[in-house]
Amino acid sequence: MSDSVATVPDAIKPRRHLLHRIGSQDPIVVAALALVLGFIVGALIIITTTPAVLDAWRGIFHSWGAPGHALKVSFDNVGAAYRTMFTGSIVDPQGFWHSLTTGKGWDATLTPISETLTYATPLVIVSIGVGIAFQTGIFNIGANGQAVLGGIIGTAAGSMIHMPTVVHIPFTLLAGIAGGVISGAVPGVLKALTGAHEVIVTIMFNYVLYAFLLFAVLSTALQQPGQQNDISRTLDPSAQLAPIFGAKSGLRVSWGVLVAVAVVFFAWWLLDRSSLGFEFRVTGANPQAARASGMNARIIVIVVFLISGGLAGLAGVVQVASTTHYIDGVFLIGNAGIGFTAITVALLGRNRPMGIVWSSLLFAALGVGGRAMQATTGIPLDLATVIQSAVVLFVATPVLVKEIFRLRGAPSQSVELATKGWNS
Amino acid sequence: MRLELREITKRFGSFTANDSISITVEPGQIHCLLGENGAGKSTLMNVLFGLLHPEEGEILIDGEVTTFADSGEAVRRGIGMVHQHFMLVPVFSVAENVVLGFEPTKSFNRVDYKRATEEIRRISKEFNLEVDPDAIVENLPVGLQQRVEILKALSHDAELLILDEPTAVLTPQEIDALMSIMRSLAASGKSILFISHKLKEVKAVSDVITIIRQGKVVGTAKPTASEGELASLMVGREVILTVEKSAFAPGADVLEIRDLVVRDDRGLVAVNGVSLDVRAGEILALAGVQGNGQTELVEALTGIRPVESGTVTLNGRDITNVTPRQALDAGIGHIPEDRQRYGLVLSMSLADNLVLNTPKRAPFAKHGTRNLRAVDQNAHDRVQEFDIRTTSIHELVSSLSGGNQQKVIVARELSRPLEVLIASQPTRGLDVGSIEYVHRQIVKHRNEGNGSLIVSSELDEVMALGDRIAVMFAGKISGIVDPSVSREEIGLLMAGETQVEHV
Amino acid sequence: MSVEELTPAVDTPSVRKVPVGRTRVIGVIIVVIGLFSLIALGLNTSSRAHSALTFSPVDILTNAPWHLGTLTLLTFWTNVILGLIMIGVGLEVLWRQPRRGVMGRFGFISVLFLLALLFWAVRTPGPSQVSFIDLTSILVGSSEVTMVLIFGSLSGVMCERAGVVNIAIEGQFIAGAFVGASIASTTSNYFYAAIGGLVAGGIIGWILAFLAVRYRSDQIIVGVVLVTMLSGLSSYLNLQIFTPYPKLNTGNVLGNFAIPLLDKIPIIGPVFFNQSAFFYLMLLLIGGVSFALFKTRYGLHVRAVGEHPHAAATVGINVARVRYINVVLGGAIAGVGGVAFISQQGQFQPGITSGLGYIALAAMIFGRWRPSGAVVACVLFGMSVYLADNLQTYNIPISTEILTMFPYIITIFVVSGLVGRVRAPAADGLPYQAG
Repeated sequence: MSDSVATVPDAIKPRRHLLHRIGSQDPIVVAALALVLGFIVGALIIITTTPAVLDAWRGIFHSWGAPGHALKVSFDNVGAAYRTMFTGSIVDPQGFWHSLTTGKGWDATLTPISETLTYATPLVIVSIGVGIAFQTGIFNIGANGQAVLGGIIGTAAGSMIHMPTVVHIPFTLLAGIAGGVISGAVPGVLKALTGAHEVIVTIMFNYVLYAFLLFAVLSTALQQPGQQNDISRTLDPSAQLAPIFGAKSGLRVSWGVLVAVAVVFFAWWLLDRSSLGFEFRVTGANPQAARASGMNARIIVIVVFLISGGLAGLAGVVQVASTTHYIDGVFLIGNAGIGFTAITVALLGRNRPMGIVWSSLLFAALGVGGRAMQATTGIPLDLATVIQSAVVLFVATPVLVKEIFRLRGAPSQSVELATKGWNS
Repeated sequence: MRLELREITKRFGSFTANDSISITVEPGQIHCLLGENGAGKSTLMNVLFGLLHPEEGEILIDGEVTTFADSGEAVRRGIGMVHQHFMLVPVFSVAENVVLGFEPTKSFNRVDYKRATEEIRRISKEFNLEVDPDAIVENLPVGLQQRVEILKALSHDAELLILDEPTAVLTPQEIDALMSIMRSLAASGKSILFISHKLKEVKAVSDVITIIRQGKVVGTAKPTASEGELASLMVGREVILTVEKSAFAPGADVLEIRDLVVRDDRGLVAVNGVSLDVRAGEILALAGVQGNGQTELVEALTGIRPVESGTVTLNGRDITNVTPRQALDAGIGHIPEDRQRYGLVLSMSLADNLVLNTPKRAPFAKHGTRNLRAVDQNAHDRVQEFDIRTTSIHELVSSLSGGNQQKVIVARELSRPLEVLIASQPTRGLDVGSIEYVHRQIVKHRNEGNGSLIVSSELDEVMALGDRIAVMFAGKISGIVDPSVSREEIGLLMAGETQVEHV
Repeated sequence: MSVEELTPAVDTPSVRKVPVGRTRVIGVIIVVIGLFSLIALGLNTSSRAHSALTFSPVDILTNAPWHLGTLTLLTFWTNVILGLIMIGVGLEVLWRQPRRGVMGRFGFISVLFLLALLFWAVRTPGPSQVSFIDLTSILVGSSEVTMVLIFGSLSGVMCERAGVVNIAIEGQFIAGAFVGASIASTTSNYFYAAIGGLVAGGIIGWILAFLAVRYRSDQIIVGVVLVTMLSGLSSYLNLQIFTPYPKLNTGNVLGNFAIPLLDKIPIIGPVFFNQSAFFYLMLLLIGGVSFALFKTRYGLHVRAVGEHPHAAATVGINVARVRYINVVLGGAIAGVGGVAFISQQGQFQPGITSGLGYIALAAMIFGRWRPSGAVVACVLFGMSVYLADNLQTYNIPISTEILTMFPYIITIFVVSGLVGRVRAPAADGLPYQAG
């Protein structure tokens, strides 16, 4: 029995040594290694699909010096791709140096990071919603649909009703939240009352909402007047989230960042400081103990879905209000849908608010950098999606990461989510 | 088949589940393995069935040393097992279940159900085990499902049948039927290893009884031995527990239970008209062999399980069929039987677990925001007060020892205002030091004038703690006695003999 | 201690049957649908309105030895009668509270309702008008998407019967479609394309099995992420390979192969006997999967593993192996489905499968994890997908969006237990650990 260990004050609790952490199965270490593996997968894909690289490899049949050349070409291509990804999403060191020394061209230098922040803003919001649900043991695959409905109702509120900026922006954002809450209520209530599996319901409901999106943007109420296409009215300037540095700078990063910061703070309070969030976490970690401790699982399921959906809806409206200012028939649809990226972001961020901030920034940078990579090297930006997915597959399978890197320590739990079947 | 287990030892880490156990089963014999839950019976059977591998000792079949790599090999050597949780596919028919893994086939790899059905009919007839081969298993009553399990084992030509707690899920009628099946199988030359903790059945059907306790064989007995003798062998414990108690001064009734009826998960009546009173300043100990309705009774009192009929009042307030939240708020303290499942969240910190059922209560939260300083302060105080051994209050509960985990629950429950404390098997699986500590806390609570209901299948614990001892058998109270009565007398009540005197 | 005091359970656990309350809800829903049909689609129409149905062959020139003519009905009375039948069934459900067949009744009502809706949609002021519904061409038209859905849902049945949730059907479609398009373009041979799709889908299935069975990862996460990955990978490769080498994606459409004589049978001929090779393969596969799962020794093992892996293991069945085999086979089937899809579309484009994999998943659930049920659901869903895309062709004044939503909404109804019970294989989605 380990009872012999006496109580020691917190202060002298031994902190785990950094080196020890690197060799262990610390979740952060696993996430970092998963990232490395993701980039390796990306590199392999570049090498095996880029025509120039393939030509170089074909050369090894013709001359002795060719293998070295082929390797060099491979490295050059992968290096160029990842370099442009970095400079395109964070900062170009040369431009930065130029701006620093001459004081000019700051707008151009800051454009990559501004784009990354613009992309990350709604992603943080929706991922936090998904993460809160995960922490409660609930799988919200419907975040994308919820964001779509948030975008629809938010666009309606921002474009069809007119009022001064001071009230119009909050009103528009609240309308978006309402849209998300409504669409989150459906799987939440169904799960609480009938036990319907939230994964099936949310997948199906996504498509219902996509159909509704098409209906909405073609309806006389929301369609851009004079248009025949699936394009909505444009938000009133009073409902738009303006660029922080003004429209003239060309930097798109908007005041929506403040909304995301508020959401992060809210999520931190909810999960770490509120008694409701405590109940969420207990329910997620041990539903039976939660019940025995007097927590009402049905109410918790519904509330979690309302919050998760509300945040997704907010993300949808922030996306509209800060970038396009209108929606079309394919708003957020397809593999670019932030609601799907959010699942991977939340997993990588271990469902913690700050973890989600970092992983959102990372995924946003991958997406934005992917665009720069495509423009400069011709390697399609979809590589970013592939890298993201690979990273998450590795994060979801820590034992595999452990085996690849021969880490020590007992296998940790696969994901912070109790694996459950269709019938539970 | 003659089976001999020689000096089998099985360890899990530092815990010895089987400590050099030797047993011999003769052909045609019904050999019973009697012991409490956790005594090591199931481990031994899993060793025998090839699911676990022993550290020491050997298995001999008809005098020949044998090792089983897996259960398939055990089956091929003629060992059949009827698992406590049936290994049947509920949506399959009887025939499909019986032939699974050993299917007769015809062309195109099709299962030959006609031949399978005939085969089942033949074995059914041979051993007198009537069952419809086409019935879907989940539609059958449990007794028949078990019969399918037996058929399955026999169809693989088992010579030795292991029946693991076969009566745990059966109704009395079904138990009678099983008994006669076992007798006729033995008569036809099959050996049977019967695992149970129910004295009556064991006496009724066995030829030889081996009693094991804490992983060791503590004795063998003839079925003629008295139930009291068997019970005290089974639940006895070497360590003598002494708890100092102040003089017994019971006050008014705190918890009144009247004619309570509760059903178990399968819809069977598990608590059948129980009436009990718990008075202020007393410990009412509820004794009884496990599985006689104690679990369901406690779950009903704490709001986890619905009450079918009857009433529960707490200080005159009706608390029948309340929600767990209402039960907690009414002042029911609960130390659950399965502490890791119902009492703790292992992946959360010690401090959080200490406020698990009071997160919203002052001073731990205000306007929905938790006061972490108060939570930490509480944890520091409880760790000091209840001597919880930990390196930090932020340590995860999963890293604590079993005894300290239990102390966390005891500390949490005893440090909030309670009307009555309900503790289920409060010391199961704990080391001696922790047992003593938990006992002292419970008695301290009682000495302060509070009422407690302590459910335990440990006879020593019951006798050491109880001011009065109620004994539960088959969903009913078979008697309420003074702790000064003899072990044998309580043993008789545990075996279902009805009450002599009322205290 | 007397024996009688312990009363045995009156019934088996209540979760296994449709609770009485839910039967009532279904009854009410059916009555409401019936009333809607009666009033809105029946009584509300002019008593002189007519609805016409034709059963013409699709291609009149080649298959014209027969013509069934046009069936003209009075919309008012037809829909009133249909509505009354629906109300009758609803009241019967409410009155008798049947324990079985509630789902079947609901399916019957869905069909009647769709018919009533069609009659209402094509009604004309008088019998001489030309607006009519051509049933044959709807059936033939929708058979293409139905076929793809059936490949997908059979894949789901294979995996989930063995206890592995396959949400990645969409991903296997994408993989099959991509590989199929490139092989069909380079070899002009859809047989090789099908082999390629089989391998591609099988590899995706293997990845799912590798992570879900060996490493016991969350199957839903792996499935969702695999779909994202493949849709990303396919658009990446599309730009990286197909754009510079358009010869790899020429858009080669596979023609039909008419079975002589049989294709001349009215309605059935064009629907079943004048189809592409993939359609006939699908018919074989429906039979094959049903046979393998429900008649053979292998199928018994698969179902045992999906329901109670522990029990299967105690009789010597290798749970992991069965799961690997089935998930790889399931992936391969969906991969071939992707090739079948591209054989109609010709050219591969990113996003071309547009969520068909999820409809296939829904159809499998709606069909209660049975090949036969899944096929029925695929026909229903395929028809609604087809009609939603081709409303103008048929002049049907129903909102596209409503038809598009139909499969999804009905699946939500089903999983909520509002329409009979669906029960997945008991161990579906749960990782198995020996011991």
